[in-house]
Amino acid sequence: MRPAYELVESFQIALQALRANKARGALTTLGIIIGIVAVVVTMTAVNGLQNKFRESFSSIGTDVIYVSRMPWVVMDDFFLYRNRPKIDLREAHALEDAMRGRAIVNPSIEGRHDVKHGPETMEGVSVIGTTEKQGRISSAQPEAGRFLTGFDVSSKKNVCVIGSEVRTGLFKGADPLNKTIKVGRSMFRVVGVMEKQGGSFMEGPNFDRQVFIPIGAYVKSYGGHRGERDVNIAIKAPVQERMADLEYEVIGEMRKIRRLRPAEPDNFSLNKLDTLVGTFNSVMGIVLLVGLMVTSISLFVGAVGVMNIMFVSVTERTREIGIRKAIGATRRSILFQFLFESSAICLLGGAIGIVLAAIVTAVINAVVMPASISLPILFVAVVVSIAVGVLAGVAPAYRGARLDPIESLRYE
Amino acid sequence: MRRAGSEATAARAAASAASPTLRLRDVVKSYPMGAETVHALNGVSLDVVKNEYVAIMGPSGSGKSTLRNIIGCLDVPTAGGYTLEGQTVAAMTETQLAEIRNKRIGFVFQTFNLLPRADIFHNVELPLIYAGISRGERRQRAERALERVGLADRMKHRPNELSGGQRQRVAIARALVHNPSIILADEPTGNLDTKTGDSIMEMLDQLHGAGQTIILVTHEEYIAAHAWRTVRLRDGLIESDLPTGRSGDAGAHSMEHLGAGSAAPAAVGAFAG
Repeated sequence: MRPAYELVESFQIALQALRANKARGALTTLGIIIGIVAVVVTMTAVNGLQNKFRESFSSIGTDVIYVSRMPWVVMDDFFLYRNRPKIDLREAHALEDAMRGRAIVNPSIEGRHDVKHGPETMEGVSVIGTTEKQGRISSAQPEAGRFLTGFDVSSKKNVCVIGSEVRTGLFKGADPLNKTIKVGRSMFRVVGVMEKQGGSFMEGPNFDRQVFIPIGAYVKSYGGHRGERDVNIAIKAPVQERMADLEYEVIGEMRKIRRLRPAEPDNFSLNKLDTLVGTFNSVMGIVLLVGLMVTSISLFVGAVGVMNIMFVSVTERTREIGIRKAIGATRRSILFQFLFESSAICLLGGAIGIVLAAIVTAVINAVVMPASISLPILFVAVVVSIAVGVLAGVAPAYRGARLDPIESLRYE
Repeated sequence: MRRAGSEATAARAAASAASPTLRLRDVVKSYPMGAETVHALNGVSLDVVKNEYVAIMGPSGSGKSTLRNIIGCLDVPTAGGYTLEGQTVAAMTETQLAEIRNKRIGFVFQTFNLLPRADIFHNVELPLIYAGISRGERRQRAERALERVGLADRMKHRPNELSGGQRQRVAIARALVHNPSIILADEPTGNLDTKTGDSIMEMLDQLHGAGQTIILVTHEEYIAAHAWRTVRLRDGLIESDLPTGRSGDAGAHSMEHLGAGSAAPAAVGAFAG
């Protein structure tokens, strides 16, 4: 019961002090405002990048393993991988046979080609020769028409399914179904349009700018049966739980197909969304850490400003401290008085900072990428503001609390 | 001289047949000053019983202020004993001293020492806040204290909206609000003109008449003359400790003031009870 009234009094003094020194308080909070804006925007930006990433890769299932010549993310020396043999169609089919009954295996070949329809041309569109099993591996579904069928694939028909960006690029508002487009040098009939995916993430793969054609038609038009084109093999686990086992099985089968001796390292790579996400998250973690370190500097500068002002405030109020002590204020209550004052300054700065950061975030959201201030970020911002206030206030408040009442009463 | 003082004190203590409100025993206070040590108090012993009215006098450098600080629990003696209402102050922690200052000592300063930004009511209420007293009771007690000094109608004013005399009365109300063991008034009229000063002294006289123990620190003879006993300090020692001669007409004096006092004697009585 006793501390409560003391604390209320301390809090009221703090507010009074702020009201009495509006201009000074405003200038002091400026440092904190800038710091909090920087910290919050850094966090929301990283958060936004993660959202964008998730959106972009959402069509890749987490239960799919991709066997490729190169890892998706090369963290060590690139030259370790560049001499690996390409995966050819024969190997892909051998793996398909070996895994039959255990998993869905889908080989695909990807190349960049120009696509044309009437006057419209799109350059460097990702053209993927694949099978009807693609539709079972990816979560992306056709929005109009149909995906490739087994018959399309086995008879190597010149039909294609186009991504949503390709549709708008070539057809604008018109209906693309059953129209013929030119892919590279060959003509393909559009049988389906894929639903919109997340778009490109930082110049990465754009799953909306793709054209799917039967793999046989791809080889027919652009080559690849003699191993001059690299084949990607997607393998979908029947149940998520089998992923780890499946990886070992795939490695074993691939080594058999490639006749690798036990001592030889794998000359192919297994890629998963998980590894990509893991790599991405660790990169984002570093970005966040560095970002927060840099922005912390501005917050630190703000805190030093608050500390400075608090020392001024303590000195100004020396006599008041003396009076309060003479009539019974304890060190603790003086300490709290100044801690509240510095926390109030920082909390005010933090609140204004959060509002400004929300505006900046809204702009980022509208212009750059999906970003929003989440509740945890808000929480962090508030806690950081208070923590900065307390830390910046401790030394001045302690000095005030320790003042000798006799000396303070003499202070003019 | 010192012995004479002690005897007088002892006699009075015996006469009142009560343990003294305040008891100082061989109090020494020294400060290091450069390489030397300055002895501000050199062994002061003093007893003050309940409802005494004591003036502490002495030229500057006599140790008057140091004694005030020790009596007011703003400072602790280097050596010697100090008990206030049976509590040993000399060994107290900073927090315990704050509590004693809060509840047992009512300071009245020369420069009033009100908080300039707080209104009169809040100034008077403040000691009660530090004592952890509830809002309702604080209001009641602060209002009563302000009524006693005749300023109940100025509660919402700031100190700078009041005259010097009024400010000092606010300070007295603040000192009284906790019903302290001692009112410790340090040159209470020093910043006031003679007429206003007289009215403040009259108020202290009334409080004394109502049973309040008052210690007056002053260098003005005519102010000290209001007290019933004068303790003179010189060079950190008690030079003399004598009754002023007012104590003889104690009853008549206090009755007279209670009757003629402008500040609601009935309220004074109620408060003391």
